[in-house]
Amino acid sequence: MPTRPDLGIQLGDLKLKNPVLVASGTFGYGQEYAQYFDISRLGAVVTKSLSREPRAGNKPPRLVETPAGLLNAIGLQNVGVEAYIAEKLPFLRERKATVIANIYGKTVDDYTALAERIEAANAADAIEANLSCPNVHDARQARGVTMVSQSPEAILEYTRAIRQATRLPLYAKLTPNVLDIREPALAAEEGGADAVSLINTLLGMAVDAEKRRPRLANIVGGLSGPAIRPVAVKLVWDASQVLRIPIIGIGGICNAEDAVEFLLAGATAVTVGSMTFRQPDAAMRVLDGLEDYMTRHQFQSLDQLIGAMKV
Amino acid sequence: MERFLLDCPVTRHDEVALGQYRLFLRMPEIARIARPGQFCMLEVAQGYYPFLRRPMCFEQIFDEEISILYKVEGEGTRLLAQFLPGQAMNVQGPLGNGFPIDAGYGRHILAAGGIGVAALPALAKALTEACGKAPEVILAARSKHLLLCADLFESFGCAVHLATDDGSAGERAFAASVLQRLEPGRGTRVYACGPMIMMRTVSDVARAAGANCLVSLEAQMACGDGACLGCVVESKYEQEGEKMVRVCLDGPVFDTEIIDWEAHNLAYAP
Repeated sequence: MPTRPDLGIQLGDLKLKNPVLVASGTFGYGQEYAQYFDISRLGAVVTKSLSREPRAGNKPPRLVETPAGLLNAIGLQNVGVEAYIAEKLPFLRERKATVIANIYGKTVDDYTALAERIEAANAADAIEANLSCPNVHDARQARGVTMVSQSPEAILEYTRAIRQATRLPLYAKLTPNVLDIREPALAAEEGGADAVSLINTLLGMAVDAEKRRPRLANIVGGLSGPAIRPVAVKLVWDASQVLRIPIIGIGGICNAEDAVEFLLAGATAVTVGSMTFRQPDAAMRVLDGLEDYMTRHQFQSLDQLIGAMKV
Repeated sequence: MERFLLDCPVTRHDEVALGQYRLFLRMPEIARIARPGQFCMLEVAQGYYPFLRRPMCFEQIFDEEISILYKVEGEGTRLLAQFLPGQAMNVQGPLGNGFPIDAGYGRHILAAGGIGVAALPALAKALTEACGKAPEVILAARSKHLLLCADLFESFGCAVHLATDDGSAGERAFAASVLQRLEPGRGTRVYACGPMIMMRTVSDVARAAGANCLVSLEAQMACGDGACLGCVVESKYEQEGEKMVRVCLDGPVFDTEIIDWEAHNLAYAP
């Protein structure tokens, strides 16, 4: 009788019982999916991006389906950090979920204030700084660098400041919309991040031919789903060649085989995002399938799998 | 609220008019708790195109079955139309708030525009049972072949008023002008489901007459559970955190007074 494999991982000071997370913005605040499975089984729940004040987000339409994926321009609609602490956190705690609070701000001060508030309220087990939302600028105006994580200097500044504001494990979520992913990834590491989350959505657009209008009110959106998986795997691989800190892999993971792909390419954790929309219990299928894969291949721990692609 | 994720066999699947189908699925767990105006998410694709499920409202709710009425519009509904009796489909539901059933209103008028009729038969049945009297129904569509469910409404005892844009059946009129002629008043509740412009004009007539009006909205949605925030519409709530309401979880049924129709960009509307 083979022993069950150990799926535990370490992200900074946070030990997770398994590497399967759910992506910010695809899992609400946990309660939305708790009716389909036991959310405490997840490695962690990553919350919808939290800002200091509530945000209404972008005008609709905010979603377009595209081949093997979807474009979204939600615009970080969220309840705000105080309502999160008062109304959303108790449920997550009651269900014994491990919680990574994703935070978003317009300035360095917003990020540090959010990190301080979350630590003070014991409102998460780690923080993921969203330095890469593609949907919070006006696409009619924005040109060139529009996200913190398109500038290594800005990443360094933001990450350092958040690092100094909190002792909670800190992960930096980066955009794939750059020339060379190694630069922003190294900047986050230098700034003191305990891990980087790769990747946020790819910038995209869809136009209605009949109406001759953009399909999204925001014109531009972020592409997610299985369509972007090869891009994400490649960027995880690139970053893993230069980073010492772990990588949280995200991008079109639909099943355990996809998750293993990310692990082999160098990711330490794997995040199910848009696939939860298709199959509300997709993360549990990934978790069960991963355990089965490790048993079949006689891996005792994930260390044997992470970055173990044969080249 | 209890939700299920179930493989449900197709028990019947008929083309009821050109390109429009009625699908019966066996789902005792969901049917037992489903309410008129609620919906489910159907996994129509085997692969990843289309990637998302398709939200479909309950047309009729039986003891162990649900029927769904839909029109083939795109790739998702094209795949849906290929399901044969005996095949199973994964169903997520029941979702959404559904119509409130309040026998306190003296008069109930249902207004259907095109395929929007798909949300109303279960409501007509529930109102008939709760009020001891069948509601009135306005059935409007572009043309005769798109008028569905008239027989079904009549079987509940409803007076059905037909209207078409081209005059090929019933009066040549829009739903709102038929409603105007029926003279709703205070104590009347109007239930509308159809294209955005139709629901807006029906709402205007109802409001002017002092009637209460509920609308069942449609939107592109990814999750159906309130998580993705993709299906929102603008409300008249002023608080930043409450401005956008989710069609999937806060709706799909809303009091028309809550919806900010002015803000809604009809250029994008279905």
